[in-house]
Amino acid sequence: MSDATRVLPVVTDASAPPATPAATPVVEQPWRPSRGGWVARGVVWTLLGWVVLALPLNVLSPFEVGVTDVDVASLAVIYAIGALSLNVLLGYCGQISLGHQAFVGVGAFASAYIVTNLQLSFFLAVGVAALFGAVQAVLLGAVSLRLTGLYFALVTLAYGSFAQETLFGITSLTGGEGGKPAPRPEFFTSGYRYYYLCLAFLALVLWIDWRLTASKAGRAMAALRENPRVASSYGIDVRAYILVAFAVSGLFAGVAGALVAHHDEVIVPSSFDFRLALLFVLMTVVGGLRSRTGVVLGAIFFALLEEGALVSMFRLEGFFEGLLGLPTEFVSLVVGPVLLVLTLTLYPGGIGQQVAPIRLWLTGHRFDRHAGAVDDVEVNDVRA
Amino acid sequence: MSGLGQEVGVAIVTGLLQGCVYALVALGIVLVFRASGVFNFAQAEFGTTGLFAAYAALTLWGWSYSWAIAFGLAVAVAMGLLTERLVVHPLRNASRVTVLVGTAGVALAAIGIQFWQFNETLIMTMPRIVDSFFLVPVIGAPVTVQQLITLGVLVVASLVLALFFRSPAGLTIQAAQQEPTAAELVGISVRRVSMLTWAMAALLGGLAGILSGPNLTFTAGFLSFGAGRALLPGFMAAVLAGMRSMPGAVAGGLTVGVVEQMGTLSFMIEVPGARAMLLFGFLLVVLMVKPHGIFVPRTAVAA
Repeated sequence: MSDATRVLPVVTDASAPPATPAATPVVEQPWRPSRGGWVARGVVWTLLGWVVLALPLNVLSPFEVGVTDVDVASLAVIYAIGALSLNVLLGYCGQISLGHQAFVGVGAFASAYIVTNLQLSFFLAVGVAALFGAVQAVLLGAVSLRLTGLYFALVTLAYGSFAQETLFGITSLTGGEGGKPAPRPEFFTSGYRYYYLCLAFLALVLWIDWRLTASKAGRAMAALRENPRVASSYGIDVRAYILVAFAVSGLFAGVAGALVAHHDEVIVPSSFDFRLALLFVLMTVVGGLRSRTGVVLGAIFFALLEEGALVSMFRLEGFFEGLLGLPTEFVSLVVGPVLLVLTLTLYPGGIGQQVAPIRLWLTGHRFDRHAGAVDDVEVNDVRA
Repeated sequence: MSGLGQEVGVAIVTGLLQGCVYALVALGIVLVFRASGVFNFAQAEFGTTGLFAAYAALTLWGWSYSWAIAFGLAVAVAMGLLTERLVVHPLRNASRVTVLVGTAGVALAAIGIQFWQFNETLIMTMPRIVDSFFLVPVIGAPVTVQQLITLGVLVVASLVLALFFRSPAGLTIQAAQQEPTAAELVGISVRRVSMLTWAMAALLGGLAGILSGPNLTFTAGFLSFGAGRALLPGFMAAVLAGMRSMPGAVAGGLTVGVVEQMGTLSFMIEVPGARAMLLFGFLLVVLMVKPHGIFVPRTAVAA
C-alpha cells in the first residue's frame, strides 16, 4: 500500500477545495470506515498499485506485457505530466494556451541538444529543459499580462506555429526535419526501466503540483481566477502570481518534453504541431480541470486512445475499422472532440468528477455519489 | 523592374490575392464575434469541410462544378448550424474561453471526420474553376484566374454584406447583437438571429475553402494548420479590424496577406519558417501597440 500512495495522486485530498468541507462540519467524531471497509479499501489499493507498478514489469502477472506496450505506458505517463502542466494554466489560473506543444517542444529540443551535442548527463539535461520551459513560458506570460483571455489564446496559437516552424527549424540546434537523436540514459535504456523513470518524474510533478495548490500561491491563483480585481484588493499581486503559474507550467512542460524526447530517441519538429496542443486541451478539459486525479486519468485515456492501445485492449478494431471504417489512429480525433463537447455542456467536472466518489472512498471517507459535483467548466477569462 | 523591387512587387500581388482568402475567413470571424462574443476556432474548418464536400461531389461522384460548389457550401452551412445548436447555444451562459475551447473541439472533430472519410487518399487535388494563369504586366507576378475569381467573390461578398446590414433583416441582427433582451422585447427572435449569423459565417468560411483549395494540394485540416492555413491570419485580420468592423476585416485580411508574403523575399531565405515568424511578430506588435485594431471606424472605438 505504501508504494501505491507514493505514486497515485491520493495526496490531493487535503487540497481538493470544494469537495471535502461540505461533508465534514456537521459530524463531531470524524467518520471512520469499519474493519471490513478498511480491508476492501486495502484490496483496491493493492490492485491499483499492482496495475501501476507490477503489471508493466510482468511481475506476479498472468499477462505478458511487451516492450511496445510499456513504451505506450511511458508515453501515457509523460502525457500526464504535460496535461498537468496545462492544468496549472487553464485550471488554476484560467489562462488558455493553444501553443502548449511549443512548451513541450522547447524542453524536448533543449534536452536532446544537451545530451547529444554537449555530451552531458541526462538528469542535468532534464533540469535545464525544465528551466528553458519555465523561461519561455514566463516570457509568453509577460505578454499575457497585457491581454484578455481571448486575445491571449491567439498569441499562444501564433507562438505555437512560430515555435514549430522557426525555433525548431533552426537546423544547427534542432537537426531540422532530419531529426535530432536523444539517447536514453545508460541505466534506463530498456523500455521497462524508462517507464519507472517516467513514473518517478510524474510523482515529483504531482508532489510539486500538490504543494502549489496547498500553499498561498495556489489560493492566490484560485482567487485571481475567480475575479482578479477582487483578488488584487485583498493584496494579491495578480501579475506576480500569473507569472508564477506560467513558470510552473513551463517547468512541467519542459520535464515532459525532455522525457518525450528520450522516449522517442529521435525527435522531429513536425511532431510538435497544433494537433498536439489540442490533444493537451482535450486531456485537461475532459479529465476535469483542477482535479489532479482527473487530469492524470484523462491524459492516460487519450494517450492510450491515440496510440491505439485502448482500442486493441478492448478488441474494438472490429467496431471501429470494420463497422465504421475508422482507422485506429484517428479514433481519438473523432471520439475526443465528442467527449470534449459532452464534458463542456453536460459533465463540467470531467473524469475527475466521475471518479471523485471512488477517490474519496479510497482515502477513507464514505462513498458519496455526489462528491466532486461541478456546475460549470469555470474557465474564466482573466481580465476579460 | 528588377531585383528587390520586382520581388517586393510580386510579394505584394501574391499577398493581396492570398489575403482575399484571409479576408473571407476574417469576415466570418467578425460576424460571429459580433453576434455571440465568441472567438470561433472552427471558422477555418467550415472552409475545409466545405472544400472536402465539394471535392467529393466533383471528383468522386462526378457532379458538375457548379453543383459541387453548391453542395460544398450547403455542407459548410449545415456544419455552422450544427455548431450553433450543439455547442454554442448550450454554452451561452458559460465563460467565453469555455466556448472557445468548444469551438476548437468542433474544429478537431471536423478534422477527425475528414481523416476518417478520406483516409484512402491522404493528399488531394481538385481542378480549378478556370485552369489558366497570366503574368501581371509590369511586375511579372503569376496570377491564376482562380485567384481573380476569389478576389471577385470577396468584393461581391463585402458589397452584399454591406447592403444586407442596411436592410431590415440586417438591422434585426445588429439589434439582437447589441441588446439581446431589448431585441426580444420588440419581437426579434434572438435564437433565429444567432442561427442566421452562424449560417452566414459558415457560408463565408465555405467560400474561402472551396476557392482556395484548388490552388494547392490539400489534406485534412487544410485551412486550420495545413498548407492553406488561414485560421491564424484570419484571426489577425479580425484583430486588425478590432473584431467589429466588416470593412476593417477585408482591409486586415489583405494587410496580413502582404505581411506574410514578405517572408518569401530572398533575404529571408535563410530564416526557417519566416512566414510564421513574421505573423507572430506582427500579431505581438499589433496587440501591444494598437490592441483595439487599426482598421476601425472612429465610432466603433467609442462604442
